[in-house]
Amino acid sequence: MDTARYAELFLTESREHVSAINHALLELERASDGGRNAGQGHPPADEARRSAIAALFRAVHTIKGMSATMGYTAVATLSHELEALLDWLRRGDAMVNTALMDTLFKAADALESSIERAVSGKAADARIERIAARLRDAVAPATSSAREAPRVLGVTRSRPGRQAGRRRKTPPRPRTRTRASRPEPVATAVPATVIRVRFIADAPLRGARAAMALQRAQTFGEVQAVEPPEHTFSEPAFGQEVTIRVATAVPHATIARSIESVGDVAGVEVEGAPPDSLTPLPAGIGSPPARRSRPSGRHAVGGPGAGGSDVGEDPYRARHVRIDLRRLDALMNLIGELVIARGRLMALTAASEDQALAETVHHSARLIGNLQDEIMTCRMVPVWQVFDRFPRLVRDAARSLGKQVAFEVYGKEIELDRSMLDEIGDPIVHLLRNAVDHGIEAPDVRVAAGKAAEGRLTLSAIRDRSAVLIRVEDDGRGIDRDRVLARARDTGLVDAATSTLTDDEVVRLIARPGFTTADQVTNLSGRGVGIDAVQAKVRSLGGSVDIKSVPGQGTVVTARLPLTLAIMRALLARTGGDTYAFPMAHVDETVSAEGLALASVRGRPVMLLRGEAVPYVRLRELVGVPGGAGPTGGPLAEQHVLVLESGGRRTAVAVDELTGQQDIVVKQFDAARGGLPLFSGATILGDGAPALIVDVSSLI
Amino acid sequence: MSHTVLICDDAIFMRTMVGDILQQAGFDIVGEAETGLQAVEKYKQLRPDLVTMDIVMPDMGGIDAVREITRFDPQAKILMCSAMGQQALVVEAIQAGARDFVVKPFQPSRVLEAVQRVLA
Repeated sequence: MDTARYAELFLTESREHVSAINHALLELERASDGGRNAGQGHPPADEARRSAIAALFRAVHTIKGMSATMGYTAVATLSHELEALLDWLRRGDAMVNTALMDTLFKAADALESSIERAVSGKAADARIERIAARLRDAVAPATSSAREAPRVLGVTRSRPGRQAGRRRKTPPRPRTRTRASRPEPVATAVPATVIRVRFIADAPLRGARAAMALQRAQTFGEVQAVEPPEHTFSEPAFGQEVTIRVATAVPHATIARSIESVGDVAGVEVEGAPPDSLTPLPAGIGSPPARRSRPSGRHAVGGPGAGGSDVGEDPYRARHVRIDLRRLDALMNLIGELVIARGRLMALTAASEDQALAETVHHSARLIGNLQDEIMTCRMVPVWQVFDRFPRLVRDAARSLGKQVAFEVYGKEIELDRSMLDEIGDPIVHLLRNAVDHGIEAPDVRVAAGKAAEGRLTLSAIRDRSAVLIRVEDDGRGIDRDRVLARARDTGLVDAATSTLTDDEVVRLIARPGFTTADQVTNLSGRGVGIDAVQAKVRSLGGSVDIKSVPGQGTVVTARLPLTLAIMRALLARTGGDTYAFPMAHVDETVSAEGLALASVRGRPVMLLRGEAVPYVRLRELVGVPGGAGPTGGPLAEQHVLVLESGGRRTAVAVDELTGQQDIVVKQFDAARGGLPLFSGATILGDGAPALIVDVSSLI
Repeated sequence: MSHTVLICDDAIFMRTMVGDILQQAGFDIVGEAETGLQAVEKYKQLRPDLVTMDIVMPDMGGIDAVREITRFDPQAKILMCSAMGQQALVVEAIQAGARDFVVKPFQPSRVLEAVQRVLA
């Protein structure tokens, strides 16, 4: 069949399962460590171990089924081997040691890459076979027969846990669901009939067909013998034939017809000589009476379990559709244009006297706003879609550096615009690696400093007004001020005489482009890209980065991101005849410039706002507009002051004129590298004029 | 009137594919379930003519779901969807009351054959 159109679905879903696999592997590793520490058989650890293996098995099994259907042989083979190993693990009590964990993690990686390769049509990775062999070897040493017939092992040995419970509940002989509904045939009174069934040679799961044949035979009478015995039905090596002796008076032809309809049947022979015409047919031949009558509840309103859901639309039909992200992007662009047009229309209407026109325009404007909200909501996805791969990443990083890290993630359900989430993944990876590499100390160092050997690393997503905060927090050594200062002097960022920097200044120094204190390039994070790369990225997304660090106690890096890339609410201000947009997320208040007390603190101009000294700048000076009275520090010629906030710090900007709030459509440009460090992007206003978007964090 | 079907599989991929095969053959897909528990609940609510049931699912596997469903309705027509190498589980499912099975990777013709057998 044509499977190409399922490829995307396959990929999406397989990725989710790979993520689940990594998650379960971490659980398994934790449970196995816990088990060793607490001694074997520690119940909570055992339970966690079992549930992790069960989750692994499910995910791998699903991938196996899907990939086989898609014809992705490499993926199917690998997942089959992995499944066999997991199956062996879940039925035994083999120690999960480091070597085995390593094999499992490698297999998960190989599985992921083989999925991606298969979908993109690339040939399978040569490593796959090696990994598959490792998986086979992992099972082999314990019992060489386990792989050939894992199911036989499971049946003949007692199974651990749930499996055993289920086994016990099942009677040794299959119970036929129709038996209770009719009288037991009396074996001695009825002659025996021998049914010999031959299945098609290459039919899959012939043992299961034999089980079906046996089920049917049991509806005719008491089964006296089965050859080969029933327990062999479960063996992969089940042959081609089954012979069933049943005490029945049912005509041969009826029996043959019923058995033939089992499926994959090559031939049926029915022997013995019940007097066809003399024996009245027992009720239930072929199709027992219970099966004949239609269940009555289905069409009856208010039937059992109907729960009042019969009326109206069926609520159980699929209520989701999958939409190509590009469609959503296109929608978002269109609504962006529409928002601009709305601004223009509002401006024109304001100049008109026509009341009806004004009402209509306002109504449309509101609808456009609603539409914008809806489309935005469609694009929101929970952060776990990206966060889910981080536990594995932190674990690998910690392992390779010989560090112990307890990693926790909070706020997984917080939602962010899809394209924002895609962009923010790499910076977070960078922050996490930084924390493991430079933040958290080696276990012995930590113990010597009076800390727990295991470091703590936390990643959280927090919704804050119209922004989302992404926070990476560690309890490591903090930022070394002396090293930062020394490096800053070396590179000329501060002059040689500087010996005192405030904590904030130190921290902001390390966010300067190209600044790193890593003495040597480590495998993990020291590739010459420091916190500045993170900051540049976050700024290009319209956000800001804040760093707080206490020596010896740890570091907190917080990235503040807007909910969406495309549209933001901005306060528009004019200076020198041009309009500038300030993201509302950063605007604390606006005050009249008249009568403000100005002063200077340590050579920097500040204004006094209700007793608080807030540093200020004049926009016309920043953008190089000539004119106006005096430089910053002198009396203000401007009319208005915007008080802006970013990362807990405030600054004020003096502007000529405020022109109001508006939704603006952001056209990104890479401000940090584009030579316009003040701005994060540009927009087109309702009247068609351009405006630059001020990067508030760069002012502070 | 076309037969109604409840599709139970934890993979959307599989549900979509089985759904497409059956829909093209004129069946009416009235519901989908991702877990064994959902399968039992939805069976009771929807009373479909046919259930396709994956074996390995979270929150109650397919076999336990077959037990629950046939306890509720001994006439339930359940078709197991299995992978290669699951013979023991399929045998268990048949013993629990499933009517037939198909083996992944699915071929539409084999799925439809099995469905016809179950509904016959």
